[in-house]
Amino acid sequence: MLDKKLIIGVYDDGDNLLHSVEKLRKRGVEILDCFTPYPIHNLDKALGIKRSNLTVGAFLCGFTGFCLGLLLQFYTMTSHLHTFKSWPMIIGGKPQNYMMIPSMVPVTFECTILFTAFGIGILFFIRAKMIHGKIPDILDPRQTDDRMLLVVTPDQLGEVSRSEFDSIITSAGAIEIREHNPEHSNDNQH
Amino acid sequence: MGHHYITEVKNEKFVFTKRSRMIVGGVFILGLILTFIGMGQVKNQDHPADAEHTALVVDAPQHEGGAAAAEEATDAGHGEEHAEHSTGMKRIWANFLLNSYYFMLFAVGALFFMAVNYAANAGWATLLKRIMEAMSSYLPIGIITIGIVIYFGRDYLYHWIEYLEKGLKPEDTGFDKILDDKDWFLNKGWFLFGVPAIMLVWWLFRFILGKLSTNEDANGGTTYFYKSIRFSAAFIVIFAFSFSILSWLVMMSIDPHWYSTIYSVYNFAVAFVTTLSVIGLFTLWLKSKGYMEIVSDEVIHDIGKFMFAFSIFWGYIFISQFLLIWYANIPEEVVYFDARLNPHYKMLFRTNILMCFFAPFLILMMRNAKRNPKVMLIAALIILCGHWLDLYLMIMPGVLHDESGFGLLEFGMTIAFAGFFIYWVLHALSRKNLYAINHPYILESVNHDVGV
Repeated sequence: MLDKKLIIGVYDDGDNLLHSVEKLRKRGVEILDCFTPYPIHNLDKALGIKRSNLTVGAFLCGFTGFCLGLLLQFYTMTSHLHTFKSWPMIIGGKPQNYMMIPSMVPVTFECTILFTAFGIGILFFIRAKMIHGKIPDILDPRQTDDRMLLVVTPDQLGEVSRSEFDSIITSAGAIEIREHNPEHSNDNQH
Repeated sequence: MGHHYITEVKNEKFVFTKRSRMIVGGVFILGLILTFIGMGQVKNQDHPADAEHTALVVDAPQHEGGAAAAEEATDAGHGEEHAEHSTGMKRIWANFLLNSYYFMLFAVGALFFMAVNYAANAGWATLLKRIMEAMSSYLPIGIITIGIVIYFGRDYLYHWIEYLEKGLKPEDTGFDKILDDKDWFLNKGWFLFGVPAIMLVWWLFRFILGKLSTNEDANGGTTYFYKSIRFSAAFIVIFAFSFSILSWLVMMSIDPHWYSTIYSVYNFAVAFVTTLSVIGLFTLWLKSKGYMEIVSDEVIHDIGKFMFAFSIFWGYIFISQFLLIWYANIPEEVVYFDARLNPHYKMLFRTNILMCFFAPFLILMMRNAKRNPKVMLIAALIILCGHWLDLYLMIMPGVLHDESGFGLLEFGMTIAFAGFFIYWVLHALSRKNLYAINHPYILESVNHDVGV
């Protein structure tokens, strides 16, 4: 993101940010992104962001865990899978046919949860391009404290002229308008 | 696109139209008629000679179990000590207990859910508060019906009462050490006093919370709200203990030799998930009738989440109870599941798990399913039928052994209770405004947004 020319509106109130997003989108301005220190209700709807597919990923991870958990138990506890000279484990008179499935519930459940939790965490980091050692895309240090940023690229303004854009967001409550130019410096990084 | 914060709620008033009254009342009367026909049918059940005849009249499952079971009963003579009570009468009382308990759970569950919303400072369900109030107004009827069971039907259902009245000494034949040891808790005096007392305490809280709600409607202000929070918190604590005791006394003592420490949690899971399904059904019905336009999909979505979550909770509690007993295989514990996994109940037992856990889990998993009224309707009905079956499996094997069945009696009595319950709730709903307009969190509920 830092390699593009950007126009940044700085806000100190989430509602003002939300209202400017609504106004700008009504005028046909596509907004690159918003940065807020805490979640603002309905902002993603106002930005027109599609719902994340993370839940589908969670389901697939969970399903994988479910299957692997069952496989693990069939492999280690029974002789149903003839891949290994396994020794059927009969604990508490447990039967060695499909009736043993209740005894597999806890491990299967735990595997499902484990795979879902780790899988969804890893997927989130991949999707958000967050990895250890990455230089953070911080446009303004205050975005992690008490300010909200509204970021657009100049070509996203469309029919709206730059001065019009400024007046729209200032009237909606932006306290400051900045520009980011990658050619100049990396003054935004610290 | 865009988000419009609603700052004003127009109150509505639900009109229980004559047509609706006729339909719901008709269902009740139809249920009564079917119940009486069913009673006539099962009266003959205890005569083995007539068993063939009975089996032909009622449904197919009856045919499998009925005739064979009746023969078995005479052979094994398992009802030796309480042989004087006919199977037919036992079946009628068992059904009456089932439905009394089932519909009482909705009432107390709604009261509990309302209290949880107060105590947790949750605002999203405020629009549905009147539905919960109307549901909990059924509580007195629940007290009366359960009272009828324990005062008039106890000899048919709870064989430990009969045993304790004999007052056997350890050296006597037929002495039962387990029942004798449990005597300090499981005795007639406490049973007859405790059950109504507990439910009266619930009713007292229902009365107080209802009064506060009425006053809040009339006067406004936040004093009633803060008072409600205090009473709700107290109710939750009292409910946790008293509901456990009630479930032991009314339900678990049907199998008095057996005990499970998780049984009351299990009953609570049944109560909570069915209550939420009923709240969801009433909401969807009112919305389909043109009321409650302001209740957004977000609120319905959250109800769906609760149904989903507590179906999983039920599954969790179920497996926790089942697995330990099944695995440990101790005779005095496993007898409970042994009675439910015999050929007569096996299929019902599996259907129960399927309907209460797997079906809601898979149906309600998708986000769009929870926002689709038709899918929610199907899921709620599956949950309700599943938990009816759940209670059936708690009661019937203990009372009737293998002589239970599905006939007009079961069907009719449930229909009658359901008709009465719906009539009562809708009538209560029509007496107050549809929204608690002076509730401080009403706007939060109107503008509720689940975020995803």
